[in-house]
Amino acid sequence: MAGRSGREISAVPETSIKSKLLSWEGALILILVAVNILGVAISPNYNVNNVLREMPRYLAEIFMMFGMGYILVLGDIDISVGALVCLAGTVTVLSSNAGAPFGLAVVICLAAGLLGGMLNGFIATKFTELPTMIVTLGTQIIFRGIAEVLFETWGNGGGTASMTDTKGLMLLAKKIGPFPISFFCVIIAGAIMITVLAKTTFGRKLYAIGSNKTAAYYAGIKVQRIRFICYSLLGFLSGLCALFLLTATFGSNTTTGQGFEMEVIAMCVFGGIATTGGKGNLIGAFIAAFIIVCLRIALGQRNINTQVILVIIGLMLIVSVLVPALSGALTAKKKKAQT
Amino acid sequence: MKKKLISLLLSTALAATLLAGCGSSAADTAAPAADSGAQEAAPAADDSAAADTAAPAANAGGTTYALVTKSAGNPFMERMASGFQEAIEAQGGTVVIQNPEAATPDAQISVIQSLISQGVSSIAVDGNDANALTAVLTEASNAGIKVLTLDSDVAPDTRTVYCNQAGVSQIGETLMEAVYDLTGGEGDWAILSATSQATNQNAWIDAMKKLMESDSKYAKLNLVEVAYGDDEPQKSTDQTQALLQNYPDLKVICAPTTVGIAAAAKVLQDQKSSVKLTGLGLPSEMAEYIGDDDAHSCPYMYLWNPIDLGRLAGYTSIALVDGTITGAAGDKFTAGELGDYTIEEIDGSTQIILGPPFKFDPSNIDEWKTVY
Repeated sequence: MAGRSGREISAVPETSIKSKLLSWEGALILILVAVNILGVAISPNYNVNNVLREMPRYLAEIFMMFGMGYILVLGDIDISVGALVCLAGTVTVLSSNAGAPFGLAVVICLAAGLLGGMLNGFIATKFTELPTMIVTLGTQIIFRGIAEVLFETWGNGGGTASMTDTKGLMLLAKKIGPFPISFFCVIIAGAIMITVLAKTTFGRKLYAIGSNKTAAYYAGIKVQRIRFICYSLLGFLSGLCALFLLTATFGSNTTTGQGFEMEVIAMCVFGGIATTGGKGNLIGAFIAAFIIVCLRIALGQRNINTQVILVIIGLMLIVSVLVPALSGALTAKKKKAQT
Repeated sequence: MKKKLISLLLSTALAATLLAGCGSSAADTAAPAADSGAQEAAPAADDSAAADTAAPAANAGGTTYALVTKSAGNPFMERMASGFQEAIEAQGGTVVIQNPEAATPDAQISVIQSLISQGVSSIAVDGNDANALTAVLTEASNAGIKVLTLDSDVAPDTRTVYCNQAGVSQIGETLMEAVYDLTGGEGDWAILSATSQATNQNAWIDAMKKLMESDSKYAKLNLVEVAYGDDEPQKSTDQTQALLQNYPDLKVICAPTTVGIAAAAKVLQDQKSSVKLTGLGLPSEMAEYIGDDDAHSCPYMYLWNPIDLGRLAGYTSIALVDGTITGAAGDKFTAGELGDYTIEEIDGSTQIILGPPFKFDPSNIDEWKTVY
């Protein structure tokens, strides 16, 4: 793909069908199929109904993954979202128990997520010299800290509270056929987030910022404003994650959402999004998320030690990062040999 | 183009190794007993699996009893699981023991969901949270699975019966009496607990606090702080050091958790502190710290037998599944070598109480340290 100047324009994607099939996303689809074949092969109980029944807890995480994908494409990172899920879940449970109707509790949940995300965005854009890893490490501790204080002041003692009025949550946990409502919500949210990132100028700007912040700035992109929007969006999606997580737990506690941030980052990276920014797309991450979820369910049904499952997922993650790097190195070597 | 071809080839290779790797690891990890049972069941289930919905009857090869512990790598949980396994395998049942990946209710939810898919007959849970498991345990009961709890309880209406290691008030009284004895009746003392949401820990601490308020005998005792070591050795060590620093007049630390007491014992003994320790601990871990002289940090401590608690839960699972008991107050059954038990109604919840806590002191620690 040489431009008129003769230089390689690497950021412009190839569009032929052949290249699409041979891309990382194509490989991911194959792996997803392989994982499902594996599931059926090793567990007699691995079928559509059971997989969908076990899925809601993981589906909640996928909402957050979309937002995390945006942040990673920007070249930033946000490790506070697991704690933000805890905070949003906690205020929802406590406000509902204090008498708020379900509709209001939902608004509070989403608002708490959005506000948390805006706080992250505010600090990250006003103090650009701070690494976002450190900023969000700070807010991670703050969010979980606030949740713990809330439990102490308004809870019934101990770091846990369950929602007394579960009617609304039951409604959200309903199923259409074997499909939980959250499944459709994930698909809709996914379609919107994928399209925005891949097909709009807003999405294109994210890639520009992720590739080179300074160049993007001089190209007239409002870098900080877009970063702020992305952090807020991720916060909002964390609120959504908390809401759907509540439909599986009906309550919140001090460990709610622990490790979620790393799980969604893993899904993104496995899906081909580079943490250095500017590379990858959400379709890959979306497929990767289902690979990890299906693999966990399949191995879980075989009663494989949960720690061993973590080891397997960790290995897959490393290999998935190694493969493009290795093949990249190979091509480079070849080119060198040719010249 | 070449690069992509290579990545495709490599990823199919990855998928293939994954398939092979999982096949072999499935055979040698996890509960070996569960494997044989599942394999026997597989041919029968294969035909029907596609047609069946969340089929509880998929395990045709025998009755499967599951145990979900709090977390992996906890000696108490391991002993409990071994007792559970022993009791059930002696009766010819199949056992599945699942340690969640983290000591959180979220991790337990995933594990329990998976057990529902497998259609086990009973699930015994050591709850990481009283409320968070409500939805998933209700789902298990609706699928026809008998749900019981042991060690740490969940919301009473989501399970049939709770195998309690000892009554809450019994433990509260025993520990309060120990604190009274070790302080000499007056002065500062502190509690080193596990996590702030651990159901059993909080119940015991509440019982102790209530005793201090209601009984004038304890009026001169001053509980300075309840510290949380989260059942992690390092955090428990840090919390113990913080207690020593913040309260120079501290006389006694009471740690009603096996991880906490072992960490605290090491800190106190290493620093040759005059602060004394008591609480609930594993004899094998605490043997080197138990002694009456100043060189030892813990004069005596208590615990029940985790192996027996696991056994009791095992026999209770069997009795629930074969219909001997339903989980109602007044139901009686025989728990093998443990003897006869009756389900009691305590504070509006149905429980089976293992027995009073057992005291470990210099006279008997050598005998018990090899047991568990």
